[in-house]
Amino acid sequence: MIHLVTDSTSDIPPSDAQALGVHIVPLIVRFGDEQYRDGIDIDPDQFYAKLEHSGVHPTTSQPSPDAFATLYQTLLANPDDLVVGLHISSKLSGTLQSATLAAKDFDPARIHLVDTESVSGGLQLLVRAALDDIKAGDSAAVVADKATRRRSKVTILVLLDSLTYLHRGGRIGRAQAFVGSLLNVKPLIAIRDGEVHPVARPRSWSKGVEMIVEGVRGCAPLRGLAEFHAATTESLLDLEARLSTVVLNVNAILGRIGPVVGAYSGPGGLGVACLGAD
Amino acid sequence: MSATKPAPELSVLREPLREISGEQVLAGLTAALSWLEANQQEINDLNVFPVPDGDTGSNMYLTLRSAVEEARHAPTPDGADSVLAAAAHGSLMGARGNSGVILSQILRGFAQGSAQRAHLDAGGVALALTEASAVAYRAVMKPTEGTILTVVRDAASAAAASAASTDDIRVVLDRVVTEAHAAVERTTDQLQVLRDANVVDAGGFGLAVILEGFARAVGDAHAAAPVPALLRRSGEPALRLPPNPGDLEATGSPVARRGAAAIAPREQGWGYCTEFLINGPGLDVEAIRSELSALGESALVVGDPELVRVHIHTGDPAELIAAASSRGRMSKLKVEDMSAQHHDVLARAEANEAETIGTAVQERPQAPPKAIGVASVAPGEGFREIMGSLGADIVVSGGQTMNPSIEDLLNGVRAVNAERVILLPNNGNVILTAEQVDPLADGCEVRVVPTRNLPQGISALLAFDATASIEENVERMLAAIATVRAVEVTHAVRDTSVNGHDIKLGDVIAVVDDVITQVGSDYLGVIEAVLQSQDAQPELVTVYSGHEIDEQEAAALVGSLRTAHPETEFELQAGGQEHYPYVLSLE
Repeated sequence: MIHLVTDSTSDIPPSDAQALGVHIVPLIVRFGDEQYRDGIDIDPDQFYAKLEHSGVHPTTSQPSPDAFATLYQTLLANPDDLVVGLHISSKLSGTLQSATLAAKDFDPARIHLVDTESVSGGLQLLVRAALDDIKAGDSAAVVADKATRRRSKVTILVLLDSLTYLHRGGRIGRAQAFVGSLLNVKPLIAIRDGEVHPVARPRSWSKGVEMIVEGVRGCAPLRGLAEFHAATTESLLDLEARLSTVVLNVNAILGRIGPVVGAYSGPGGLGVACLGAD
Repeated sequence: MSATKPAPELSVLREPLREISGEQVLAGLTAALSWLEANQQEINDLNVFPVPDGDTGSNMYLTLRSAVEEARHAPTPDGADSVLAAAAHGSLMGARGNSGVILSQILRGFAQGSAQRAHLDAGGVALALTEASAVAYRAVMKPTEGTILTVVRDAASAAAASAASTDDIRVVLDRVVTEAHAAVERTTDQLQVLRDANVVDAGGFGLAVILEGFARAVGDAHAAAPVPALLRRSGEPALRLPPNPGDLEATGSPVARRGAAAIAPREQGWGYCTEFLINGPGLDVEAIRSELSALGESALVVGDPELVRVHIHTGDPAELIAAASSRGRMSKLKVEDMSAQHHDVLARAEANEAETIGTAVQERPQAPPKAIGVASVAPGEGFREIMGSLGADIVVSGGQTMNPSIEDLLNGVRAVNAERVILLPNNGNVILTAEQVDPLADGCEVRVVPTRNLPQGISALLAFDATASIEENVERMLAAIATVRAVEVTHAVRDTSVNGHDIKLGDVIAVVDDVITQVGSDYLGVIEAVLQSQDAQPELVTVYSGHEIDEQEAAALVGSLRTAHPETEFELQAGGQEHYPYVLSLE
């Protein structure tokens, strides 16, 4: 059987993961000396409350190779078992590095790892599409290959309250050009080719949301759509209401930006991920 | 001020003047400059809108001054073609404001029409003026009648008609001056805005003054006939005559002294073109600018607290360097003797080696140019800092009432050091100047996004994407500036009536996208009236406080606006602009 493994930056809630049959390896989020496994020791509510009240800026770290090795050991107990691992962009995290190291102790034909060049809702959409492929009977190699080809069809747009967290966390990428504005702007960024790109600097939140809607319109036809927030449920529902008139016949996944990704997007982020049709 | 001698019948009393040389052309231009300076304030006062504006008279004066400075160093001083070509080049570099740019095009056309003619005869003058008119019309995308364009065209027609019947240049120029003034008179009825304000066109009047100064010096160095009285209406500017044009170099009158002083620096030599960077942090750009600008000419001091770029022509580079080095660590210092450079250039040109002129600049160690950059224009340290923070590589100082010259903009564009530069004029009176930069920028592609005010400039910068092509960026910026409404709040500089508003000197007026829409007695009341007149309440209002407004006053005003408009977000920024206590952007 083919086991699908991803990491906690896919922002798949634990309950969904169980229902989907996906194995999630947690990244680590730290506030000073306190250390939490993403999605296991800390949930989004607890994380954003801490982010607001703790004076310490959170840091994150990739899962240890050991965490992957332990999981692979379990999943590959039967000789028929195979693993497909879809992970966060290697330009944003060393997670894939840990997975690759762990995989060295196993038969290379049994573990297929993919750099999705994506994160959060985008990674989640790729995971769900891969699950469909597994269900359809594709081999592990084909599932990994399709995921690799599909990653160019993913568009991620995130409207941020500020660039502070992205900048402090060292993941600013090409959005460096947006840093330092003396005017209040709501940076709109994209994850493209695995890293952060600047898109636009709307002066107001609603203009930024409009830009997201336009961006999604430009991705049609869609196979999947995910909407994620680190702000308020209202902001997410407002976005969903606007997108529902643009995107028809696609069930949007609504969710929250989890702790590890949230450490970079900061409180108040709102994003979408689209997966174009195959 | 005018001479008391009765007007002699020039053409009857004297020998016909059949041709003029380069020296006479230079004398004519010099007299025109002096004549223009004497009338500068009159021309400035003809502003249609009662707002502190890019002053037409000052802009034309500075443009012509640059022309005369260059003409004095023409390679062949006795060749009319050589002197005019030099004047045309000088005016192009020094052109400021729309009327300055058009004047530079008139001079360019005049020079083109005189090409290969060491002496101009009556027909040659007419031909040159006709070409001047044609070139000026071509420079403007939508030529409007009732402006300087109409005046130059009517003057050219008069020259052509006159030259067909006489070979006396005096007679031709007399006709030209008379017709130019008559054309100026007619402008009032040709343009609604002029009729409303009951004024003649400032740029057209400036050109008539220039032609008159020129004609008098060329026609007769000693006879300064008064302008015929019938050409003046009550309430209109009196044409001020400088002292006897034959005595321009004399020291008797303050006007003559000022005119001579303006030209003097070049006579003392070209000085040194000095360029360097001052490295921060913590540089006070404004203080550096005012300190260093006082030590030379053509000062370009731009940058931010981290890095300041300086370009100054000075007679004493050592003093300049000493002053600069006390401000921060200096780098990329380059000092060039412009006299040597000038002679060098001439020598090479004579030897047909003109292509090597730029060598000195190319030798400067400089980072490789980036693909695309932005140069912006702004008055006020606050605006310059904001624009820098939004990604403008260079912010050229200037705007209302201090329009940058083409050379200022060209230096700014060069300082960006990019293969392609987007230039944001951020002022309606700088757009035409900005459009002249591209052909001068040595292969650097310069595209102007015609931002008419500072809020548009900010919006354009926000839309900039350094990874996109220049076409895409221009498109993005054009779309962005269409979504922002600019409100400029100032005081009326004179009594007038515009758009049905009776305006008194000192009234607070709000100019919304170039139209005076509200008049009142206090800032808050006028801004409130503007906000209430909007069809839809703006989502975001950014308030840029001017130089004369202190922080508390601005905060109080914004506080009142917030209370009155809870649905709208207000952001306060210190713009630091002169003359406009508040500039607002409505989005």
